[in-house]
Amino acid sequence: MDKQEFLTHSGVQVQMLEFWLEQRWLIPEQAAAGTRFSAMDIARARLIGDLKTGFGVNDEGVDMILHLLDQLHGLRSALAQLRKDMGENSSPSAQ
Amino acid sequence: MSNPYEVLGIAPTASAAEIQSAYRKLAKKLHPDLNPGDKSAEEKFKEVAGAYDLLGDAEKRKRFDSGEIDATGAERPQHRYYRDYASPDQSHPYADSSGFADFMEGDDAFAELLRRSQRARANQRGQDLHYRLPIDFAESITGANKRLTLPEGGTLDVKIPPGLVDGQILRLKGQGAPGAGTGGPGDALIEVEVLPDHRFTREGDDITLELPISLSEAVLGGRVRVPMPAGAVTMSVPKGSNSGTILRLKGKGAPRRGGGQGDQLVKLKVVLPRPPDPELEAFVAGWSKAKEYNPRGREV
Repeated sequence: MDKQEFLTHSGVQVQMLEFWLEQRWLIPEQAAAGTRFSAMDIARARLIGDLKTGFGVNDEGVDMILHLLDQLHGLRSALAQLRKDMGENSSPSAQ
Repeated sequence: MSNPYEVLGIAPTASAAEIQSAYRKLAKKLHPDLNPGDKSAEEKFKEVAGAYDLLGDAEKRKRFDSGEIDATGAERPQHRYYRDYASPDQSHPYADSSGFADFMEGDDAFAELLRRSQRARANQRGQDLHYRLPIDFAESITGANKRLTLPEGGTLDVKIPPGLVDGQILRLKGQGAPGAGTGGPGDALIEVEVLPDHRFTREGDDITLELPISLSEAVLGGRVRVPMPAGAVTMSVPKGSNSGTILRLKGKGAPRRGGGQGDQLVKLKVVLPRPPDPELEAFVAGWSKAKEYNPRGREV
């Protein structure tokens, strides 16, 4: 979806979005036709909204939480890939 | 839902500030995106959020306290959380491996495994995306250029090759989800649904059509127009054609894989005039006395 659709969908204000993009809290895809937002970007925007308005986290806090969360998801991905590799390499021997 | 005061762990006399503070304390711990590995977090968070929606609003709280409304219907609508998109088996631009970068530097087996999985992820090909595209019967025979509107926005131009059958899958290379690193994008897989046409049936490369003809065309023969999936042709009906006679229009069927075309089979169906014609009745009554025949043979 384009920027306008994203704003309608997420309920985010345009100045807020500009700031979030500047902070690189959101990294939408840059296509030939312009900026494209995904469903993942919407969900991430909703999380940022929850942190700021729901939990009263300030901008520095949001920045830190997102950074830690991205690392946590990176770790989870690595763990999942490891589990997959180990499953492939150590298939139980046929009895 | 259970009593919202109990859900938030506060007394019914709690102040607005106390309610907010109790909610924040719980929600921070239970928010599904802050607990990516805890499947039960979503349910618990929903309950806490629902309780806060009710008690955090002074007006709604007053109505709840006076018994005017109860806690049902206070649940928030379901939506997908960020963690659902950031799940381990999907590659995305937010993934960050700095949390274990140091583990990858070693020269032990574990570090090697981690490095390998990182390489695999870094250059992962994008996902294939699946779509469905309905087309007309005629388009399935002649081919067509269609434009598919994607649910996630945007369009995709699809060239339907002539002779395609129902359920066939077209693969558009590189039109799927973007990949990571040198992985390249996935493909778009389009399942084509051929909508039925009441006039035609297709078997292999042959197309069958039932063609109604008049009594005089059946008895005396004649030239008739035959509809085809695209357009029509003129065909001769031979003298004395019966219902069920199949005439073959060579090369007018569906395109064959590897060249050539199937046939169109025209199955004749003699249709008497409606309403019945008294003159015809009188003629047949006089005629059949002398020329009686039994088309059912001897068995019946």
